[in-house]
Amino acid sequence: MFGNKNKKEKLDIITNSIVLFFAILSLFPLYWLLTSSFKNSADVVKMPPDWFPKTFTMSNYVDVFNNQPALLWAYNSIVVALVATIALIIVSSLAAYAFSKLKFKGKNIIFIIFISSLMIPKEVMIVPLFRIIQNFDMVNTLSGMIWPNVATAFGVFLLKGFFDSIPDSLREAAKIDGASEFKIFYKIYLPLVKPGIGALFILNFVQVWNDYLWQLIVGQDATSKTLMVGIATLMQDLNPNFAYKMAGATVAAVPMLLIFIFFQKYFTKGITIGADK
Amino acid sequence: MFKKRFLASILSVALILGVLAGCVGKETSKSSGKSSSDEVQISVWLTPQWKGVLNASEDGADYDSFFKHAAERFAAEYKDHKVKVNVEVVASDQRDELINVNLNGGTPPDIFFESVFAMGDYAHRGALVPLNDIVDEDAKADIAQNFWDNVTFGDDIYFYPFSHNPGTLVYNADMLRDAGLEKYIGEENEIKTWTLAEYENILYGLKKDLPKNKYSNAFPMALFALNNQGDTWNLAYLRMFGNKFFDEKGNIIVGDKNGAKAANWLKKIYDDGLTNPGAESVSSNDANAMFQNQQLGVSFTNSILFNNAKADMESGKAPKFDMRLANIPSESGDPLTFTYVTGAAIFDTKDETRIKVSKDFVKFISSDPELVKASKNGVPVRSSVVEEFKGENPLFAAYTANDQFMFNFTGNVPGYNQLRQVLYPELQALYTGEKTADKAVKDYQSKGNKIIEDAKADSVIYSK
Repeated sequence: MFGNKNKKEKLDIITNSIVLFFAILSLFPLYWLLTSSFKNSADVVKMPPDWFPKTFTMSNYVDVFNNQPALLWAYNSIVVALVATIALIIVSSLAAYAFSKLKFKGKNIIFIIFISSLMIPKEVMIVPLFRIIQNFDMVNTLSGMIWPNVATAFGVFLLKGFFDSIPDSLREAAKIDGASEFKIFYKIYLPLVKPGIGALFILNFVQVWNDYLWQLIVGQDATSKTLMVGIATLMQDLNPNFAYKMAGATVAAVPMLLIFIFFQKYFTKGITIGADK
Repeated sequence: MFKKRFLASILSVALILGVLAGCVGKETSKSSGKSSSDEVQISVWLTPQWKGVLNASEDGADYDSFFKHAAERFAAEYKDHKVKVNVEVVASDQRDELINVNLNGGTPPDIFFESVFAMGDYAHRGALVPLNDIVDEDAKADIAQNFWDNVTFGDDIYFYPFSHNPGTLVYNADMLRDAGLEKYIGEENEIKTWTLAEYENILYGLKKDLPKNKYSNAFPMALFALNNQGDTWNLAYLRMFGNKFFDEKGNIIVGDKNGAKAANWLKKIYDDGLTNPGAESVSSNDANAMFQNQQLGVSFTNSILFNNAKADMESGKAPKFDMRLANIPSESGDPLTFTYVTGAAIFDTKDETRIKVSKDFVKFISSDPELVKASKNGVPVRSSVVEEFKGENPLFAAYTANDQFMFNFTGNVPGYNQLRQVLYPELQALYTGEKTADKAVKDYQSKGNKIIEDAKADSVIYSK
């Protein structure tokens, strides 16, 4: 069968087999996490392992949601990640449009200052940022986790590239037709940078969702913990049930997977745009 | 068109609702302060210690049960102010991040209940208030001097001792039996002392003779170096060949030939497959869970971990087996053991009312005749409580007899928390083969001594 193929087809089969092998290898930890979360603890550590759960139990998930307010943590995480991301997209797209299309004094210098802030690690800013949040009385609130994630230079940097790739002639034509600046931004340019917004949405959502340190520091009481912080605390619990911890990790990972699955079209489009210029 | 508008409306509503949800309704969650003119709110933070008020078998027993119960009683009985005590459990590996950011922000917790060794640096940094004024003669008479020494920095007491947790090894006696190693099994309530040669026989015996059909994925001994958790056992292993770790001036001396010999021994048992694989990426929590799942023959424990493991067996959370204690062996034959004194410390919040209420709360939990009974979850520091519960827990006598082998693992040096951060990377380098045993201990010594030197310069205790 293999012998009947021409050279190119044979190469394709070999290449695809290698890619498939590495894909399976990358997905295996996820598969193991998911299937182990439905096992009992003894079956998780068994050797040789059960590649698929022989006894299928939901009790680990029941325990995760019964023993701690995991639903509240999930709600907090979703609100923080979603609101921060939507707000970031609004702020970043406006700023990126201004840097890309408008002419104003000191534009380049301000943009360089903006971009320079990308070089400062967030950890360096933790204490001053915390003091600001304290002064606004936002400790133990979701707002305290949201607002510091809204004004980040990365979003502006990413979207400016997309706005740059759209010809200025569109703006000039719209101006001649009497459109206001906001209308040009909202009606003409914004729809054209949708792939960029999609990519930014995923990147920022994931970043805020996984923002462990800041959420740990701001959400100090049990009711304002997010899923990442709560699950990390659960991992510290001296519980001998490995499957219970696997269930906790799955609960933390699944929303991320769903986001990637639903938005991957935008994500791949977003990060490859411009590559074929 | 309709679809787009609909989507835009949904997003706008989500944004507004989200922002509102984030902004409001959190007044009650303020950790500390005065919420009204006469109510004083104080915050108590603790790392996971024991579950339940008095024991883990209570309904809904959790790590904060004791403090929530004590807080309710205190609020009901306290005369000077209307008091609300907010209790938060923080994971051990989140402790220092949370404390440091809050200290820098001027909002440390009022009270922290923790092992003294993990918090001593905050006394050196001047972040804690002395507790001399709440320690009375009754307490001094009931709690042995060595515990007071443990919580005294310079001239002042900074922690009110509550219980202590002696650290030992724990072994699965069923595994030893199944591997034909019965002669090494101690009594049920004994802390067995093995010579180093005997211990090596046990490890090699477990590796060779443990029935694979019964223990399909088991290893003789726990070894871990993922982070600083459980590192006191690693410190103890480094003393196994006679190294004293600190000299009389408080400098680290583990880089000598005995320290290197100990590190070499660890590397050898690791390379010989006498421990769990991947020690550099295994945490003490992982090792503890592996032991409870019968994947390890010998592991580490302290009195609270031991009691929790027993409770897990009773409740069916973990498989039941015969679990017993042993000392960490040494080349000289004298075993090694240590203890964690746990107690409450009070942060200097600069608010005299809150400090006063916090001191009264700490004195309340540390001296109320009913509440101090909870110290039986570890080993009580009060001789009166030991006396009351020695029948219930025969191991109390064994722990007391073991006191003679105790070493002071912190050396009372400042900067101990930072020292912990430089030990496990050296052990990781040792296990992965990146460094030789000699280089690993020498590098640890030089980094550690630099930390101690800097911490001494910054210590308010040393500069007094």
